[in-house]
Amino acid sequence: MVCRMAFPNNLVAELAGVVGDEWVVTDERALRRYLQDETVPSVHPQASKEVVVVKPGSAEEVAEVLKVANKRRVPVYPRGGGTGLVGGAVPTRPGIVLSLERLDRINVDVENMVAEVEAGVTLARLLEEAEKHGLMFPPHPGDEGAFVGGLVACNAGGSRAVRTGVLRNYVLGLEVVLPTSSILRIGGKTLKNNMGLNLAHLFVGCEGVLGVVTKAWLRLYPRWRHTATLIIPFNGRTATFRTAKKILFTGMVPLAMEYFDRRVIEASAKHLGVSWPIAEGQHFLMVILAEALEDMLYVQLDYIDKVAREEEGLEPFVAQRSDEQKQLLKIRSEIFPALKSSSYDILDTTVPIGSVEEFIESITRIESKHGIWLPVFGHVGDGNLHVHVLNYPSYTVEELGRIVDEVYEAAVALGGTITGEHGVGYIRRKYVRGMLGDVWVETMRALKKSLDPNGILNPDKVLP
Amino acid sequence: MNIVVLIKPTPDVTKVRFDVERGVVDRSSAELEINQFDLYAVEVALLIKEVLGGSVTAVSMAPPQGERALRDAVARGVDKAILLTDGRFAGADTLATSYTLAAAVRKLGGYDLILCGEKSVDGDTAHVGPEVAEHLNVPHAAFVTRVVEVSSNKVVVESDYGDAYYLLELQLPALISLSRPVVFRDRVVEPRTPRLGDVLKARRARVEVWDAYYLADVADLEGFGLAGSATRVVRVFNVFEKDRNSITVSGEEGVDRILEVLRSRRLV
Repeated sequence: MVCRMAFPNNLVAELAGVVGDEWVVTDERALRRYLQDETVPSVHPQASKEVVVVKPGSAEEVAEVLKVANKRRVPVYPRGGGTGLVGGAVPTRPGIVLSLERLDRINVDVENMVAEVEAGVTLARLLEEAEKHGLMFPPHPGDEGAFVGGLVACNAGGSRAVRTGVLRNYVLGLEVVLPTSSILRIGGKTLKNNMGLNLAHLFVGCEGVLGVVTKAWLRLYPRWRHTATLIIPFNGRTATFRTAKKILFTGMVPLAMEYFDRRVIEASAKHLGVSWPIAEGQHFLMVILAEALEDMLYVQLDYIDKVAREEEGLEPFVAQRSDEQKQLLKIRSEIFPALKSSSYDILDTTVPIGSVEEFIESITRIESKHGIWLPVFGHVGDGNLHVHVLNYPSYTVEELGRIVDEVYEAAVALGGTITGEHGVGYIRRKYVRGMLGDVWVETMRALKKSLDPNGILNPDKVLP
Repeated sequence: MNIVVLIKPTPDVTKVRFDVERGVVDRSSAELEINQFDLYAVEVALLIKEVLGGSVTAVSMAPPQGERALRDAVARGVDKAILLTDGRFAGADTLATSYTLAAAVRKLGGYDLILCGEKSVDGDTAHVGPEVAEHLNVPHAAFVTRVVEVSSNKVVVESDYGDAYYLLELQLPALISLSRPVVFRDRVVEPRTPRLGDVLKARRARVEVWDAYYLADVADLEGFGLAGSATRVVRVFNVFEKDRNSITVSGEEGVDRILEVLRSRRLV
């Protein structure tokens, strides 16, 4: 069903007729940045250079572009901030890169605590606009250069998911341009809306294969006034996970609960040119608390202090100033970039929260078997752990691929999944049938065929 | 070594909102915390105490909610915290502020070294530290980028006065106001991350509250607050950019063109 036509030469003029000459890019140098995303180079898909970048200024123009693409059976690759890690935005065939960067309007409705946001607004701007009105957008899926359209299309997660859940939870309404060029508007500013099946959620996490998200109505909240970032050092890993579990089982829901070890965090600090400020311990639990009232925060700090002592934790540290909290978080967030250049692939395996320790033990066994270091860190609060398979010098690409498979198998054996937040994109399609089964694949194909009969939208992604 | 650290509780600059129309800070939008520059003064004080022993006392002049900043100082290791708070202190400019802080230091007595940040993130004047020293008639060094050596009777510092670095030796008692970054001996100073146990203890710690009358034996009440201020803030206003006009110039003619434009706008 996927169209395979070569790139038609007169397409550019027709697209310019839709969006205007200045919003069509064909210059090779200017195109370069639209051919890649943040996927690590060793597994990054080969991009086709026979592409034209189109920058529509409205949902209507997006619809017109899709109309042209359908008529000519040309693939269309919707593109947001290009921050994806699985090649989801990479044009793998000759076609149109549909960049949503001009759809950058945002309106914060303070009274209703809703942001009406176009797809090309960055996460950074959404956070800033909400903040200006004393509100906040609770989830934080990492790279603030990501576009809202991409965040929705990829159902982004991030470190706060333990408290906030994933992006889907904040979508009250969507404007989506269907591949056949109709514009679908669903939901809006109400918190409840039971009028028909909520089709908006069909497009949240569809990774751009079913429709192009052009606008979202996102739920905002009053900002948490009191926050604290705790670092609890441990000498042993077992005590680290036991403490994490104990904190979670009290019913306390931290904003984030992250695990990393000294080797990983010091590599990150070194990458930033700073030092990791905690001298004690080999394993760390980073717990971020956020509450409306200071007393509520202190009740939790008191409790965590008690649990850490009971569970053989070393003396915890706590930052409450914004600058100090940001610095700790920055070192934690920099782990990924610090390791990226030496990584073969970056995984986002997720296991049930009770199986985190067992999963780490499996990773340790894989490390011992191959005599390698597999850096592991991540969102211990929701079971989403990042494992970096590095470019070990003596290993072939096939062997590295097999190590990736071993990590995946370890997660699946515990009832987990190979991706908690990065998605399938291009690089994980080969696992889809095995993970999700024939019925899922056929159902998804039927859905795709029904919405995108010519298969123009983001081919080579998600579906095997 | 008895060290006094002057701390200004300032709003968290990453959270505070400004009422642009009225030209005032929306004080309800952010909690007060230790002024970033003073945080380094606290750290240097604690490092000196580690070497020479003694005690560190933190002094702030602020509204009652400034107590939060002092509790943070206690969590970081300060031995004693004093909050100067009274309606009479309100409206103080740098002269009245430094007069009040100097009175408190005088009241404390027995000090060897006074430390503070070079300026505050909200006021940005860099006046208060040196003025406190002048009120107390002790030597002072501002814009200190390195504490080279400190002993029971003197402190040697490097100060960045813009045109050059000055190596200064001050006999104690003295006051130094610290820049950022700052080096203590050969170590770049980074404020320590407080330990949770210390933060929890600090929440229950005693912060002494001194009012204007408590200082009456060491100062003139008329020197406090608005009454003691030599300056008044008449109006605060924002400068808004109306438009931006870009002109591209090149070569020799470009210089003439720039001069012509600047002259036409009476800017040169």
